[in-house]
Amino acid sequence: MTTLALYSNKGGVGKTAAAVNLSYLAAQAGSRTLICDLDPQSSATYYFRVKPKLKSGAKQFIKGGKQVDKSIKGTDYENLDLLPADFSHRKLDVTFNELKRSKHRLTRILDPLKNKYDLIILDCPVTISILAENIFNAVDYTLVPLIPTTLSVRTHRQLLSFCKKNKYDMSNIYSFFSMVDKRKKMHRELMATVLNEFNGILPSAIPYLSQIEKMGIQREPVAAFLPKSVASKSYQNLWQNIRETILLKTTI
Amino acid sequence: MRHTLQFSFPDGYNEQQLISDLADHYSMKKERFVSESMAIYDTFDWRLFHKSLVLYESGNKLVLRKLFESTIIHSVEITSPPVFIWDFPDSELKEQLAPIIKMRALLKLAEAYSRETPYRILNHDEKTVARLVYEEIRPSPDKDIPALATYLWLKPVKGYPRYSQNLGKRLKEAGFTASKKEDIYFEALRVADKKPGSYSTKLNIHLDPDMPSDEATKVILRFLLHVIRINEAHIEKDLDTEFVHDFRVATRRTRSALGQIKNVFPAETTDRFRKSFAFVGKISNQLRDLDVYLLNEVNYKAMLPAVLRDNIDTLFDHLRKKRSKAFQEVISGLGSRKYKRILQNWDVFLNEPRQASPTAANADLPIIDLARKRIYKKYRRTVKDGNLILENTKDEMLHLLRIECKKLRYLLEFFSSLFPRKKVNVLIEQLKKLQDNLGDFNDFCVQEEYLLKIAEELPATDQQSKKTLVAIGSLIGTLDREKQAAKDAFAKTFTDYASPANKTSFRELFTSK
Repeated sequence: MTTLALYSNKGGVGKTAAAVNLSYLAAQAGSRTLICDLDPQSSATYYFRVKPKLKSGAKQFIKGGKQVDKSIKGTDYENLDLLPADFSHRKLDVTFNELKRSKHRLTRILDPLKNKYDLIILDCPVTISILAENIFNAVDYTLVPLIPTTLSVRTHRQLLSFCKKNKYDMSNIYSFFSMVDKRKKMHRELMATVLNEFNGILPSAIPYLSQIEKMGIQREPVAAFLPKSVASKSYQNLWQNIRETILLKTTI
Repeated sequence: MRHTLQFSFPDGYNEQQLISDLADHYSMKKERFVSESMAIYDTFDWRLFHKSLVLYESGNKLVLRKLFESTIIHSVEITSPPVFIWDFPDSELKEQLAPIIKMRALLKLAEAYSRETPYRILNHDEKTVARLVYEEIRPSPDKDIPALATYLWLKPVKGYPRYSQNLGKRLKEAGFTASKKEDIYFEALRVADKKPGSYSTKLNIHLDPDMPSDEATKVILRFLLHVIRINEAHIEKDLDTEFVHDFRVATRRTRSALGQIKNVFPAETTDRFRKSFAFVGKISNQLRDLDVYLLNEVNYKAMLPAVLRDNIDTLFDHLRKKRSKAFQEVISGLGSRKYKRILQNWDVFLNEPRQASPTAANADLPIIDLARKRIYKKYRRTVKDGNLILENTKDEMLHLLRIECKKLRYLLEFFSSLFPRKKVNVLIEQLKKLQDNLGDFNDFCVQEEYLLKIAEELPATDQQSKKTLVAIGSLIGTLDREKQAAKDAFAKTFTDYASPANKTSFRELFTSK
């Protein structure tokens, strides 16, 4: 059993698209997979055509335990379940902060689900506050999409220094290039620089493609509706990287 | 309703009709069909079936499930069809099956071809909220062959229980019934003309207590002849070692029955057939010995210190060569005119009508009386012999006791249907413990001698052979210690066997009141 967070402290970097496609590919390969949509914008939930509402209600979700399981929905795909987002997730930071052991609340919510799935993927909202710490404490690995732009790289530096300061194990943080436009000289140059600067960068990059944006219309993972497309191939390669470099450390 | 439900179609109702009926109520999407083939495996003596297990190969996977259940216990990827347990990739599946299958080969029993057409039931967001799968199972991939079974599977989607509840209700109203306790395993085997559990080495004989003894003995012997014939027919293919083994056990039981169920046939007849079956037994003596050594190759290696482990390979290569020669000898033995004539005469004798006034002294005696007498006498003999051994343990005496125990065991098994099954089984269990001890002792003695003999056959000229001899020496050392341990354990094992309680049981069951 492995938990993996798709996380970034910068918005619009392709977290949800990656979380949705990777969880789909994992399920197709036979792993019992759960994708948890923690983002109040509920994009992952929308892609899977599920109502963005927790059946148990926000309070039960915070409490954790058996009630959370009742909110889980099967998706259109075998082996793949979804814990839908809820609008109340916008207050997760504040709510966690008011409780005891405030940095370990998410761990408590996820723990009872761990024996039912081989892989749990979290689609996280943009945060670098107490919710972020909950995420780092709850998961085995964090995967950060990185756009090869100055601002994106700068934010990543911020994240790493935050983790260092708060003593989170940085060897569990991986990243991959996202929304890459190889025609842009700046993208190419930055990628080279970044590869030297950061550890744990996976070799597969996700290009900037309109096929991926079409997911909003199709409401399906691109790996499902265009399985042979360049977009699908790049997610398949990324999934392959994750399996070989990250998941081999644990058993899935 | 969280679990998949399986329905059988009402008569005259087909897939098209079902889908068009449901389309009035649900938005549905048909998906591409999925074809799957399945090859069912078991050993010749149905070891998996007896444990209610179904092993099948599908795609590149080997799958294990329980009979009557669709939940998969274990599955593992394979590159070629399985034959022996040692060919399996290391896996939980292998671990579970190893103690069941042991040295037997897996045989492909039947094939089944399934074609599944999934339908998704959608809500107004076009989200899948339930699944229906239409499945047809055939004995061949040919679509024109009538299906063995057609099923409809209703698979709920987590979080949308109401849709599957409504669907289930609607199906029941249309005459669909939840499938009865059935398993495609039986249908597939029936079409392939295989009967699960049809072969067993256990003596499945039912005797009537009042039967004349000569008739009853022939019932036992006919059963054994049947086992001999079945195994003989498979020996040539050399699928595994156990056809020869079962053949030999049935032969030995035949000889033992002839010797132990005394004076039921004319003395001349009994003598003639005892000699004949002694000949039949000898045909495969060497082959069986070699099979036992080769089956134990791993154990032998484990007995050796690590530095010598690879050096024993020369010995096993030598034994393998001897084995293929010995196998050819068995084949020509079984093809010989002498063997064929023996079996033919035996068949004629066992099936000829009973003489009106048989001459043999016990021929007319009710079988229950003779069974009691023989078993009790044999039991007392084993106790007497054992007691002598306790006073003065000689290897030779242990061997003799082992043979007496085997005779008693066979008698108990031949006649078990005449006595309360549970009580007899308890006695057999007790006897078995003693037999195991004596058997171990005997095996170690025989192996020691055999290794000494085989060492002489190996050329001792080069370095490699010298090392092999050292390894053999080390093996003999271990075997000798094991032999001594078995000998030391005898006193305790025998005392349990000859306990007052056990003696009373034998007396009560096998002496006439």
